[in-house]
Amino acid sequence: MGKIPPSFRSAISNPFLRRPSSLVPAEASQSTVTSSAKPHYLPKKISNKKPSQVSGKVKETQNSDSSKTAKALTIFKSPSLTDAKNVFNSMIKSSKMLNDPRFYNTILQSYTSISTVNDSVAFLHHMKKTSPSFSPDRSTYHILLSHSCKTPDSSLAPVHQALNLMVSNGINPDKATTDIAVRSLCSVGRLEHAIELCKELSLKHSVPDTYTFNFLVKQLCKSSALSTVYNFIDEMRTSFNIKPDLVTYTILIDNVCNTKNLREALRLVSVLSEEGFKPDCFVYNTIMKGYCMLSRGSEAIDIYNKMKEEGVEPDLVTYNTLIFGLSKAGRVKEAKKFVGIMAEMGHFPDEVTYTSLMNGMCREGNALGALALLEEMEVKGCNPNSCTYNTLLHGLCKSRLLEKAIELYGVMKSGGLKLETASYATLVRTLCRDGRIAEAYEVFDYAVESKSLTDVTAYSTLESTLKWLKKVKEQSPTI
Amino acid sequence: MLPQRLKKTITDNPKKLANLIDLVNLPSTLREFVGQSQISRLGCFMRVWSYIKTNNLQDPNNKNVVKCDEKLKSILLGKSQVELAELPELIKLHFPKAPK
Repeated sequence: MGKIPPSFRSAISNPFLRRPSSLVPAEASQSTVTSSAKPHYLPKKISNKKPSQVSGKVKETQNSDSSKTAKALTIFKSPSLTDAKNVFNSMIKSSKMLNDPRFYNTILQSYTSISTVNDSVAFLHHMKKTSPSFSPDRSTYHILLSHSCKTPDSSLAPVHQALNLMVSNGINPDKATTDIAVRSLCSVGRLEHAIELCKELSLKHSVPDTYTFNFLVKQLCKSSALSTVYNFIDEMRTSFNIKPDLVTYTILIDNVCNTKNLREALRLVSVLSEEGFKPDCFVYNTIMKGYCMLSRGSEAIDIYNKMKEEGVEPDLVTYNTLIFGLSKAGRVKEAKKFVGIMAEMGHFPDEVTYTSLMNGMCREGNALGALALLEEMEVKGCNPNSCTYNTLLHGLCKSRLLEKAIELYGVMKSGGLKLETASYATLVRTLCRDGRIAEAYEVFDYAVESKSLTDVTAYSTLESTLKWLKKVKEQSPTI
Repeated sequence: MLPQRLKKTITDNPKKLANLIDLVNLPSTLREFVGQSQISRLGCFMRVWSYIKTNNLQDPNNKNVVKCDEKLKSILLGKSQVELAELPELIKLHFPKAPK
């Protein structure tokens, strides 16, 4: 319980990449864009599956001629080049869309997705030869480029091959090219290659735009030491005159806050002010989150007051962060006060707010009060999420209200909600302590069935709990 | 308390994890029960537990107790009844620590 609950995490993750550009491969940008809005614990993949550049085009074509493109999508059954050529030849005989470049791009994309880079290039040549009206455009080469980036390879050779093909056909790589290459490389975990390529493209063609740059910074933050990130930023600044913007600083601040390095976070805030930026709501929320994770409620309130002073309007995330932090620091009374304030400001408490409050109340040992809050939120039309239930379950077990906990577990089970590691472990332990081993086994079964935890985690918890129980019994037979 | 500590043990201790999920060549008694020659300790536990469930071997009056049938007896030290609580330990007996 010392950490931020998952539902909460998604609520405060920063919406750094706010550009749903059609040129950006969907999976890279969409996840970050959508995560900003709201915590979502139920079907979370709905918005993630935004059609990417090419499949978006497929859709358009589908509207005009659905039967044909539907065929095109599944038409290549084998990666064999000869087969693909034959299929293509028979297609152009029957198709009426020979002047639409999107038609060819769709076909190429479809073939590329199951084939190798070399075969795809050969196939592109074949398309050009057999169908003179087709002239490959930028997106045609981007398809090949993206594919070459995703091919596992120890060098950038296939990527260079795709880029050279593009240049030799008179299309110079631009910002979008860089962006696609960088994101594709990162999507398969080739961050170092992405950086290498980004620098190379900056030298030869065009510098990355801020979105690509910030994307790289964010990826770097995830995997490298802070000094590496700073070096990269410095290098880009001195070599290519790319300056970090407010989003870059927010990424950096978020990163240092997550490693609990608040001193560095404050230094970054002063740097960004020196650079002429004014901290916005996201920056403040991020720093506040840093304090809250360390249970430093007073500092979190200070940030809130500072926002007010600077005229930055706190948003729902600000209040939720603050209420979470205060609850975590055991200052539930103040947290409740802020629930009132946020309502006055027109932000209605959501499941995150309630869950944070419950968390605080459970920490105080007031699990029954937290349970009452569950009813209250449901009456107010706010749906509890799995994190809410897990928090309560944990709290009830800790307060030794086993019957209530079992009841709640029943509700979770009937709703198919997942158990979190902490609440699972606490429930199993409480049941075992009460001598209800069979029920603990049943919870274990549910945790495995519902895929809440991996088999290993679920079993290790059960095993070590039983071991612990045996030890306790040996020491005092009357527990 | 326990959860965090446990998490740490698992992530800090790959050997412990390996000991749980590595496939092990089985002694003949266990081989008969499981029906295959190799299984991990975790897999074995799952197999035994699901065997108990499908054959309704839990004592209806006290679910914490398992009444062993002949087949189960053969792998659980010949006991006619075992506590659910000692099941992991009994199974662990078949998986001796690898000599180092």
